[in-house]
Amino acid sequence: MAKKYAMVHDNNLCIGCQACNVACRSENKIPESVYRLQVWVKQEEYPNGSLGYEYHRQSCVHCENTPCVSVCPTKASHVNEDGIVLVDNDLCVGCLYCVAACPYQARYVHPVTKAPDKCTFCHESRLSRGEEPACVTVCPTEALVFGDLNDPKSKINKVLSERVTYRQKERLGTQPKMYIVPNHKGGINS
Amino acid sequence: MNQIWGSMEQYNTVVWHWPIAVYLFLAGLSAGAIISAIVVKWMKGNDVSPWDGIIKAGAILAPVTIGAGLCLLIFDLTRPLMFWKLLIHYNFGSVMTIGVLALFAYMPVSILFLFGVFKKELAVDGPFKFLAPIADLALNYGKALEAITLVLAVGVGAYTGFLLSAMNSYPLLNTPVLPALFLASGVSAGISANLVVGLLFFTHSTKDANVSYLHGLDVKVIFAELFFIFILFVGMMYQGGATAHAGAAALGTGGLSTLLWVGVIGLGLLLPIGLNFALPHGVKHSHAFVIFNALIVLVGVLALRYYMLYAGQTFVG
Ligand code: SF4
Ligand code: SF4
Repeated sequence: MAKKYAMVHDNNLCIGCQACNVACRSENKIPESVYRLQVWVKQEEYPNGSLGYEYHRQSCVHCENTPCVSVCPTKASHVNEDGIVLVDNDLCVGCLYCVAACPYQARYVHPVTKAPDKCTFCHESRLSRGEEPACVTVCPTEALVFGDLNDPKSKINKVLSERVTYRQKERLGTQPKMYIVPNHKGGINS
Repeated sequence: MNQIWGSMEQYNTVVWHWPIAVYLFLAGLSAGAIISAIVVKWMKGNDVSPWDGIIKAGAILAPVTIGAGLCLLIFDLTRPLMFWKLLIHYNFGSVMTIGVLALFAYMPVSILFLFGVFKKELAVDGPFKFLAPIADLALNYGKALEAITLVLAVGVGAYTGFLLSAMNSYPLLNTPVLPALFLASGVSAGISANLVVGLLFFTHSTKDANVSYLHGLDVKVIFAELFFIFILFVGMMYQGGATAHAGAAALGTGGLSTLLWVGVIGLGLLLPIGLNFALPHGVKHSHAFVIFNALIVLVGVLALRYYMLYAGQTFVG
């Protein structure tokens, strides 16, 4: 059966250390000044005056209903059989329609190929070797969980069954495969 | 770069820049020019050679402006040498593919129209004698071809709106009224460009009756545009939340909102309407005024495209 890869980012475990960001850069040889992945740290003040932090994983959320793929005129942007959204550089003309249409600002123009690039769940490297994405492996607090939604026994399905999660901008109907365990304090800004 | 996660330069929501605005303007103008030329051509007394100057103007403007627009578009791709892949790989769910196919059909029919209208200059006395059969084809099947051209032109004019409205990442663009607004303003630009070219370059063959007909039509289209812009923002307000926020910001923030109020609405829409009602009949129908009026309308339509593209990508709620 085809896989359906997804990820969980736990806002309570994340400490904003950027180890994932750095691991992604070295694994995927990301050129200087562009990023597939960042974790934005935002200070929050709760109603009782206490302070805390919110962590936002800024990367492709691997939508199931993909705006970027729908608009791509050449089908260069596509979803592979495992539910991972990819760009086929051989087909890309560089119209940047996908970059504009992505509601998550997940895509940037690769300075060398001039084609859009984005998180691939390390599909081309680690995943094909049977390893987890670099960000997941390196995370010191295990805030990231990766796995196959089609496998009832997978670790990610266990987490999704036990924890409250939400997805960003769900109102747009994109059905992201990036689930967020919200901070136990404060409100959720989806 | 002073945050620990690194440079945020790539997160600029403005992805498409001014060449796209100019392309959207030229595509709309091309469609509008050929639509208004065909409408004039179908009127009593205009359907035989020698053609009215308006028809000649439209026949030249339509292929030239769309050609120029497409060149701009191709050079604006980040991988311009790959553009041919657009012609052989299709995604029928993408407005861009639909646009490519519409343009694929629209280019040849607009060139046919040109050859029909300028048969004498191009194929009889001119350098394209070998294309005489094409010119004859355009003339013999004039009505049918023009009907097809009209439909395709409406498609080209509207698709530029759908291209932007298909993206739900931008609330100001993600609105059903955008294609109607772009089609209307494209028709307005086409009429104006036809009037300028007709009156300046084909002065003797441009009939006053056609000029005032088109000028009158333009005023009506401008009213429609104003109404569409009104609907667009009211619709955003009613949606509330981030969309209402984006709408309010787009109406009132920075240079872009000045461009909207002064350039698009003031200069491009209200001034032509105001002048049309305020000026005495004699002035209103002078060639100089019609040309002046057409030029401000053109500036207004270009401003509208520029505003929509930039404000749309800037104010995301
Ligand atoms: S987050 Fe953006 S790039 Fe990733 S699948 Fe969704 S629309 Fe495409
Ligand atoms: S930039 Fe490339 S991948 Fe993106 S929509 Fe255009 S052709 Fe498709």
